[in-house]
Amino acid sequence: MNFQAVRASFRQQATQFVSDPQWIIPSIISPFLFTVVILMIYQDVTGPVVLQAVLGGGVLGMWANTLFASSFTISYDRVNGTLESLLSSPTHLIDIIVGRSIWNAFIGLVNALLVFVIAELVFRTGVAMVNPLLFFGTLILTLLSLASIGLIFSAAFVFSRRSYVLTSIAEYPIYVLCGAMIPITALPRWSQYISYALAPSWGIDAMKLASVEGYTSMTGMNVWIDMVIMIAISILYFMIARSLLATVERNIRETGSAIRY
Amino acid sequence: MNDDDYAIRVENLTRTFRSTRGTEKTAVDDISFDVKRGEIFGVLGPNGAGKTTTIKMLSTLLLPTSGKAFVLGMDVSLRKNERNLRMRINVVSGGERGLYYRLTGKQNLQYFADLYGITKREQTSLIDELLDLVGLSEAADVRVENYSRGMKQRIHIARALINRPEVLYLDEPTIGLDPEISRGIRALVRRLADNGTTIILTTHYMFEAEELCDRMVILSKGRIVGYGTAPELKNSVSDAEMIRVVTGKDPYQIVSSVEHMDGVIGVRTEMVAGRYETSIHTEKGKDVLNNVEEKFRDTDIRSIGYDEPTLEDTYLHLTGGE
Repeated sequence: MNFQAVRASFRQQATQFVSDPQWIIPSIISPFLFTVVILMIYQDVTGPVVLQAVLGGGVLGMWANTLFASSFTISYDRVNGTLESLLSSPTHLIDIIVGRSIWNAFIGLVNALLVFVIAELVFRTGVAMVNPLLFFGTLILTLLSLASIGLIFSAAFVFSRRSYVLTSIAEYPIYVLCGAMIPITALPRWSQYISYALAPSWGIDAMKLASVEGYTSMTGMNVWIDMVIMIAISILYFMIARSLLATVERNIRETGSAIRY
Repeated sequence: MNDDDYAIRVENLTRTFRSTRGTEKTAVDDISFDVKRGEIFGVLGPNGAGKTTTIKMLSTLLLPTSGKAFVLGMDVSLRKNERNLRMRINVVSGGERGLYYRLTGKQNLQYFADLYGITKREQTSLIDELLDLVGLSEAADVRVENYSRGMKQRIHIARALINRPEVLYLDEPTIGLDPEISRGIRALVRRLADNGTTIILTTHYMFEAEELCDRMVILSKGRIVGYGTAPELKNSVSDAEMIRVVTGKDPYQIVSSVEHMDGVIGVRTEMVAGRYETSIHTEKGKDVLNNVEEKFRDTDIRSIGYDEPTLEDTYLHLTGGE
């Protein structure tokens, strides 16, 4: 990894983000609306169930933000005409995208935390977490696992101008399959196998174990095993994304496709 | 002259694109040329002639279909050379795109400096030096979205100089700029070449090529139709003569009939300082001056006579008036 390029891309993404006033929509208004909708749905329910619901909203906010930001970051370069300058530099695309994705993941974290804060301060849900510190750790790792899926999608965006269709199609199925809102055990048997192959499913399970009183794990495992499995799958995703982006870079040189807009 | 004296050697380079429907189009067709170190070398041609495709192949953005190209002694087709080569070359594309608009000029340069692995210590003095070179020191902390077109083009050039390239590709760097700013960019290009940078310049403007380029190739439909210095290229069309007619009225109604006259190869009219200047390319030895004068009788002729062909005349002759 080229850490100088990763750091620079993180900083570049952060500067672009804060200089655009529209950031308030995905990062403040959107989580607020998620929380309102969730709490309206669960208005007659109390205790751990509400916490699970708020968690679901938080994960959706994180996922939407991370997926779209990671994917569109390169799409922006294509429209803006900077993709050609990036491709002609000695830095590999994976280093640029990782730096930007870390920033997007950070914003996803802010997004998720806002959901919890709004639920607590505005709606007075009053739910207590089993282990807040452990929960925070699982939250960050889950976010990184979501970002690792975003990396794979970003490869598609470098390659094709129409990849937003793929992102739009993938957003809700992955959210559902990860068990963010509905428990994985409530899904059809065949789809549960897909859920187990998704790193965030293990992260969300770990988050629930660390926060929701009386929660039963989807596989009966404990929080630490969940986290190890999630990290292992995320590393696999990273390797796949790295290999995909290298293939995409080679393909761009062969076809010249990514530098046409 | 040995291999070290050349910055670029191109041998039978060809690039074919295949469409999704399976049809093939040859954008660059079997071209060969070389560029000496420290030279300003022009790649000229009409739209679709293959200029940008050539630049993309020479800057490692596109693989050739066949043939070879060596830049600074390295084969551009080999993957192992990609990173090394990119550290030593850079590209400037014309137009307003290609910058991060919400970042300042300085932040744009810092970002690309990091992508080229330049240390923070080096960056401070290098960026100040480059901003000074392109005359943007005072606008360093202004967002690029607030820059004028000329300022954007200058920051483009500064960005491309961030790795102190030995070879710099300038793809239509003055396109759409006003004459004053274009002159400034040309002066900057000359200064870079004087400092030893090899420059490959693509342009539509023949006066720009004539002013800057030591040698050039003229491309048409992917093939080289002219190669050499400006005087050599002009001499290469010595089988043709040029009649220049300056008129007070627009001769558009008679141009078509002049084009069809015996001995006339091509006709081009442009407005120069409020008058109409028509250049008529004729075959050598065919005395058509009197017939031309007769045709232009009602257009308020201010001057008429034979003239030396300019580079633009040569270019139009070689590209078939494209």
